[in-house]
Amino acid sequence: MKQRALNQCMKVSGDPYGYLKEWKGNNNKKIISCFAMNIPEEIIHAAGLLPVIAWRSNESVSIGHSHVASFNCGLTRSFIDDVLKEKLNFLDGVVINRMCLQAQGIPFILEQNTKWANIIYMSLPALYGSDCIRDFFKSELDRLIIAMEKCSGNKITTGKIVNSIEIYNHNRKLLSDIYEIRRKNIGIISAREMLSIVHSSMIMPKEENNKLLLEVIEELNLKVAEGNHKSGIPVVIYGSLCQTPHPELLDLIENTGMVVVDDDIFIGSRYFVNSLDISDDPIESMANRYLSHIPPCPTKGDYKSNWSTYISDIMNKNKAKAVITLMIRYCPPHMCAYPDDQINFEKKGIPEIMLEVEHEIISLEQVRTRLQSFVETIGGI
Amino acid sequence: MLYFAGIDIGSLCTKSLILNEDDAIIGTSIKRSGAAYRGAGEDALNAALKDANLKSEDLNYIISTGYGRSRIPIADEQITEITCHARGSSFIFPEARAVIDIGGQDSKVIEINSKGRVLKFVMNDKCAAGTGRFLEVMAGSLDIDLEQMSELAKQSKKEVQISSMCTVFAESEVISLFAGGTEKAEIASGIYRAIARRVTGLASHIVSGKKVTMTGGVAKSKGMVWALSKKLKTELLVADDPQIIGALGAALIAKTKFNNL
Ligand SMILES: Nc1ncnc2c1ncn2[C@@H]1O[C@H](COP(=O)(O)OP(=O)(O)OP(=O)(O)O)[C@@H](O)[C@H]1O
Ligand code: SF4
Ligand SMILES: [Mg+2]
Repeated sequence: MKQRALNQCMKVSGDPYGYLKEWKGNNNKKIISCFAMNIPEEIIHAAGLLPVIAWRSNESVSIGHSHVASFNCGLTRSFIDDVLKEKLNFLDGVVINRMCLQAQGIPFILEQNTKWANIIYMSLPALYGSDCIRDFFKSELDRLIIAMEKCSGNKITTGKIVNSIEIYNHNRKLLSDIYEIRRKNIGIISAREMLSIVHSSMIMPKEENNKLLLEVIEELNLKVAEGNHKSGIPVVIYGSLCQTPHPELLDLIENTGMVVVDDDIFIGSRYFVNSLDISDDPIESMANRYLSHIPPCPTKGDYKSNWSTYISDIMNKNKAKAVITLMIRYCPPHMCAYPDDQINFEKKGIPEIMLEVEHEIISLEQVRTRLQSFVETIGGI
Repeated sequence: MLYFAGIDIGSLCTKSLILNEDDAIIGTSIKRSGAAYRGAGEDALNAALKDANLKSEDLNYIISTGYGRSRIPIADEQITEITCHARGSSFIFPEARAVIDIGGQDSKVIEINSKGRVLKFVMNDKCAAGTGRFLEVMAGSLDIDLEQMSELAKQSKKEVQISSMCTVFAESEVISLFAGGTEKAEIASGIYRAIARRVTGLASHIVSGKKVTMTGGVAKSKGMVWALSKKLKTELLVADDPQIIGALGAALIAKTKFNNL
């Protein structure tokens, strides 16, 4: 089977540093890292810069230990470790959303340990509701616009932001088309491959990624015609805020008799689920997206929506039989939300199992036993 | 007569059991797993066959379980030890609705229904703290064996606290208590209570209000059963040989599978 485009996604996702260094060499443009969820990337893009989502590297944390406590999540520890190991010198700056206690500490460590001229600390509101929250959100965007204009030397006009939104919306549409193909053809693509597709969009310029995703769709359509896809108990995975789960963990899920049919993880559908309205007031569109209750997010004080209900809706849409919670180890927002979700799944009779996602490689054999037992329980052995 | 075998290749010990079609246990064996799971599985099976006066050709269906379950080519199928301990426990104690399995490397707490099916389970798989391996290390630092440790704990008159549950730190804690003149008996009982505290944390929401059986090699330790019963405030049901329950469950499932073929 032809899968050039898919292989390219895997390559970018497997070595973001290599890809970005080469890209920078060829394009001579500045790269801004976004840490992590909900950064309005379109504004950075409209300035002619390349926004990339911060990722967790494949290396164990070493010198990072002296700056970040070991009870921080893998993403914060790994990001700081990479900064200290000078692996991120090709970046020109970072935009950080103050979304949790762990992310809050990062700017100060960066200020003391990098030469980046642009360290933008955003305080995107963790509340919904009143007009003043909307106004505050918009004022934060104004601040980002000024900072990105300064960083790039380019003026960010309304027209440019609208153009960026269109490109980003196209990317969101292509990603959701790929999810739709999987929904209709369960097992056509592995969870590991899907992760790398979404991850490639977080790293590559959207214009290039859009072309690549179109090619991926063509390849998948050919594969649909070939038939013979992996089967198993259909499951939905959710959680994994900010951080990439280990691809090995996803393989294990799919090698113990289950097949992932949809997800609600950050490097997954959470990244593209909402498009922006195209209007004369793109800042208002961004506020609408950010202040929408979908997907429910435990980093926002969202008392109205219920994450487990959202997940069970995704399950119904996909006829999934079980849900797997991917919990980033030491992620306080998710840890606080989980007990309620767990109770709700139990009340609804939805089989659920929680796997912890650590940064350092976990002992997979024990996870295999838990997953296999879970399958045996659902299968009624 | 039809015969079924279960092989439970645990991280520390490999157990095998032969069952006949009337559900009678006719052969068992327990051996150390060592580094080669495959060899251990075959050795244990051969020993159980010998015990049952049978040859491997006599077996109709074999199920392997435990950590080494996928390394046994002679097995017809592999099933996790969680499912097997559930089934084996329910066979011996039909009234049990929860199982606490403490093996060499981890501990599992399983909620089961009247048919021995798993409803829910939790597993402490992060480290060896509170498991058989931990007990062995502790007994080693007291320079006694596991049986002696159980006996000693009963004679303890005072309650000393072992606060560390990390195998490495607890060992140095034990050594310093010992050096400070604390009696071995008190330390031994402190160790059991420390494990019981840990297991209770894992188990309480599953076992509360239920009939509970304890399985795995550690259930052979009277000291441990005593400390855990006390902490959980419930009498624990313990089979004559609790270590073999996983292999028994595997053999029972082998029979069901064979009958459904
Ligand atoms: N009489 C005894 N008193 C105390 N402990 C005992 C006794 N006999 C065996 N054990 C302990 O039982 C443990 C082995 O139990 P078991 O065979 O259930 O473990 P396993 O299945 O190999 O491990 P796991 O299930 O964690 O993979 C050993 O650690 C051993 O110390
Ligand atoms: S994974 Fe959790 S703890 Fe880590 S940065 Fe994201 S929200 Fe914060
Ligand atoms: Mg065992």
